[in-house]
Amino acid sequence: MANPMKIIKNGIIDENPTFVQVIGMCPTLAVTSSAINGLGMGVSTAAVLICANIVISLIRNFIPDQVRIPAFVVVIASFVTIVDFVLQAYAPTSLYNALGLYIPLIVVNCIILGRAEAFASKNNAIDSFFDGVGQGIGFTLALCILGLVREFIGAGTAFGIRVLPEAFPQTLVLIMAPGAFFALGVLMAVFNSVKNKKA
Amino acid sequence: MKEITKPAIVLLVITAIAAGLLGVIEDVTSGPIAAKAAATQAAAMQEVFPEATTFEEVTDATLTGTMSSVSIAKDASGADAGYVVTVAPGGFGGAIKTMVGVTADGTVTGISILSLAETPGLGALATEDSFKSQYVGKSGTLAVTKDGGEIVPITSATITSRAVTDGVNEAVAWVVGGAK
Repeated sequence: MANPMKIIKNGIIDENPTFVQVIGMCPTLAVTSSAINGLGMGVSTAAVLICANIVISLIRNFIPDQVRIPAFVVVIASFVTIVDFVLQAYAPTSLYNALGLYIPLIVVNCIILGRAEAFASKNNAIDSFFDGVGQGIGFTLALCILGLVREFIGAGTAFGIRVLPEAFPQTLVLIMAPGAFFALGVLMAVFNSVKNKKA
Repeated sequence: MKEITKPAIVLLVITAIAAGLLGVIEDVTSGPIAAKAAATQAAAMQEVFPEATTFEEVTDATLTGTMSSVSIAKDASGADAGYVVTVAPGGFGGAIKTMVGVTADGTVTGISILSLAETPGLGALATEDSFKSQYVGKSGTLAVTKDGGEIVPITSATITSRAVTDGVNEAVAWVVGGAK
């Protein structure tokens, strides 16, 4: 069994889903117009990722190779639906209104299917749990930073709180769709340059 | 034969378990979800029509234009105070679902934006109170200042402001036109 800390660190830095593996780009680009949206999407994805990793790891020996992808998709989609129902029924309405839009998007987030295929189907449940935690934190951090940068430059706020004075010019393009690509590209370059210097 | 049947059976078992589990969760959560949706709806109606205490959906109303639903607003004594009309005028990024409270004589009591897909930082500011409160107490056909009216549009979002104004006009016109 590998060292849990090493697996978590691997998910956050060495194999960061957003900045290094560059997977799950659709939700990343779409939801990061503000930091709070990035946080919400990151945390809900992490929750589904951890659950799906554990279950897939537990049933990995029963699943014949030919049908593993459909089996993974069923497990993931079921978890997403359960999270959706439970949040809708018991979470505060304001939280569900903020997250509700992103939850169905988790099904098509290829990070989850990617980790199921690359890690959970080859490792035991405990390691898969830590992989889910690491990848989840890595994804959440990446989305938060991206959302924070875009929100700060684009609207002058951070987590909805005004930081720059209203009169300060706001670069609106950053919170619109093209800004997602600009910010992601710059952040990805910074992240990898720091990471490579350390290595 | 075996290499076809085994995967098929395994997949069947997995999907059957998943379906069973989802059925149970749906059964447990459907009650609270419906209760919450009703509470949200009531809270939104209360916001656009503060004087009313109860709301009753009109199921046989003739819906015109972009209207999607109408409720009668009743005051504490049970008398009809006016209507809450839900309209969906076309904005810059799609329909802007708006709830409008209108008294029986055609005065706007409040508006609430239920959903929109306008540009963040521009048209999406239509949900701010400073914009919405302009409609309160107005009657007749409204227009934005650019078109000679008295509604001050959101900066750089005239299309959105016009759309919301059109929606309010539609609701008022329906009530004044006999509310049928």
